[in-house]
Amino acid sequence: MMATPETGLIGIVVLLLLLLLGVPIGGALGLVGLGGLTLILGFEPALFKAGDLVLETLTRYELGTLPLFMLMAHLCFSSDASRDLFDAAARWIGHRRGGLALASVAGCAGFGAINGSSLATAATIGLVAIPEMRRHGYSDALATGSVAAGGTLGQMIPPSGALIVFGIIAQQSIGTLFTAAIVPGLSQALLYMVVISLLVRWRPSLAPQTAKADWPSRWQALGKVVDILILMLVVIGGIVFGLFTPSEAASVGAAGALGISLWRRRLSWSVLYHSLEETLKTSGLIYVVIVGTLIFSVFISITGLATAAGALITDFEGGRTLTVMLMAVFLLVLGSLLDGLALILIATPILLPVTVAMGLSPIWFGIFIVRAAEIGFIHPPMGMNLYVIQGIAPDVPLSRIFRGVLPFLAADFLHLLLLILFPALVLALPGWMA
Amino acid sequence: MNTPHSNFYRALVIIGGTALVAAMGIDVLAVLGRHTGIPLLGSIELVQVLVAIAGAMALILATLNDRHAVVRIVLARLSGTTATLVKRIDSFAMAVFFLALACGSAWILRELWSSHEETELWLLPYRPLRLMVVLVLFTTTGLVLRKVWQGGDK
Repeated sequence: MMATPETGLIGIVVLLLLLLLGVPIGGALGLVGLGGLTLILGFEPALFKAGDLVLETLTRYELGTLPLFMLMAHLCFSSDASRDLFDAAARWIGHRRGGLALASVAGCAGFGAINGSSLATAATIGLVAIPEMRRHGYSDALATGSVAAGGTLGQMIPPSGALIVFGIIAQQSIGTLFTAAIVPGLSQALLYMVVISLLVRWRPSLAPQTAKADWPSRWQALGKVVDILILMLVVIGGIVFGLFTPSEAASVGAAGALGISLWRRRLSWSVLYHSLEETLKTSGLIYVVIVGTLIFSVFISITGLATAAGALITDFEGGRTLTVMLMAVFLLVLGSLLDGLALILIATPILLPVTVAMGLSPIWFGIFIVRAAEIGFIHPPMGMNLYVIQGIAPDVPLSRIFRGVLPFLAADFLHLLLLILFPALVLALPGWMA
Repeated sequence: MNTPHSNFYRALVIIGGTALVAAMGIDVLAVLGRHTGIPLLGSIELVQVLVAIAGAMALILATLNDRHAVVRIVLARLSGTTATLVKRIDSFAMAVFFLALACGSAWILRELWSSHEETELWLLPYRPLRLMVVLVLFTTTGLVLRKVWQGGDK
């Protein structure tokens, strides 16, 4: 069979069908890639390439970043970091109108800095924050919506699992991606806080004011998270200032989390075993997906689909901004069918060469695609964070959770638009640090 | 075999976990060494090998725990025999994928068996690593096929 862009398109259609039928993402990507390569190159080269990619992937030094950051998050979680982070934020800003919702977003941002997953952030902060907000008379919609949206910060604020995976498949510096994600992550958190402030100003009944914590208890709560804050600063600061590579940062972070667990007297053999078990289980899932994606990427690049799409975009007279906006719409539509990781892995081999052909930075694209994928976490029908939140508050109907998340979704669209219109939001910090 | 209390399962967690903690320790020593003027040469090679061991164990653990990421948008709407049939087909597709990876890896292992591949500084041989990957991939294929036999669910 000839390697033509049409072959690549057929491959994508088959892939989407397999995914919708429920074939595991890694398997679907790999099978389509293998099938396509077999048709184009023959059975032997396809099998040889697949076999070669497995060990090549498993021995990739950067791939160690992922399990080690996960280990750091599990150890921090077992040390009650999520509860302490929310508690500290609640003592400092909880008394303001909507303060506990603001504290939830701050807690999510803080927990996002020690963990790279949206679902884990929403689940861990939600467990602490949602009952607390409901106890203080907050509306269910605001309580659940703020945590569901805040959870997506876990994927943007470094260390981010999605950015590590993107860095590996797009062969981009994970350190630069992490540095580039800082401003978008913080501005996203800020936008969520603005949304909460506007909502409670518009309808004060959504969030009754709570009692002000006294200063000693505020300092005491802050004292409880000093170790975690130092760990965050060391890990992120070390990467940003070039003291160590992201892989080393993950090791330093995991070792630091181990030390914190020990110091807080939370470390036991069973905690360590459980943390390692969870880390390995999730890593295995991601490794299979990465191997599948790499095989799929080889197939797509051989078909010339990305080059053809790049040429089409270059000929398109709508301009760069309009093209990127169309890409965003495409990602958001696809994101309503696929989960975030699948979206990033399928779209990257196709859209990255197109983006580069338009003269845009691959680093910017990494942040853009992760941001677009994050939105899929809070909009139906996928909206994984919404289901996680419903698991925490089963008596709140999904429709109410979705209503609560709508204002944050509007903020997400605005944020994505800002990233498109002002790429400097992403690229200025890494450029300055370089 | 697939229960968290089985010796096989525990061994996977202990081997993978030890490799991961060792990789962490070596990386931390490398950072400390670099900043104190006592560089740990070849640390990357050691970490690569340890991460590969952890990753190989992780592949089996993810399969044992049925952790492979799935888009459930259609699957969630199916019920009864249709759902079971679709899950069986999905698992079979996954088994074919793992089998292809296993055969490809085994082929490369056979081709390179006598080539004495090794790392540059520590001269660690690649052959045992390749053999481990082949065994792991055949094991995961077997585990997924067992799932097909059992009806698609764990």
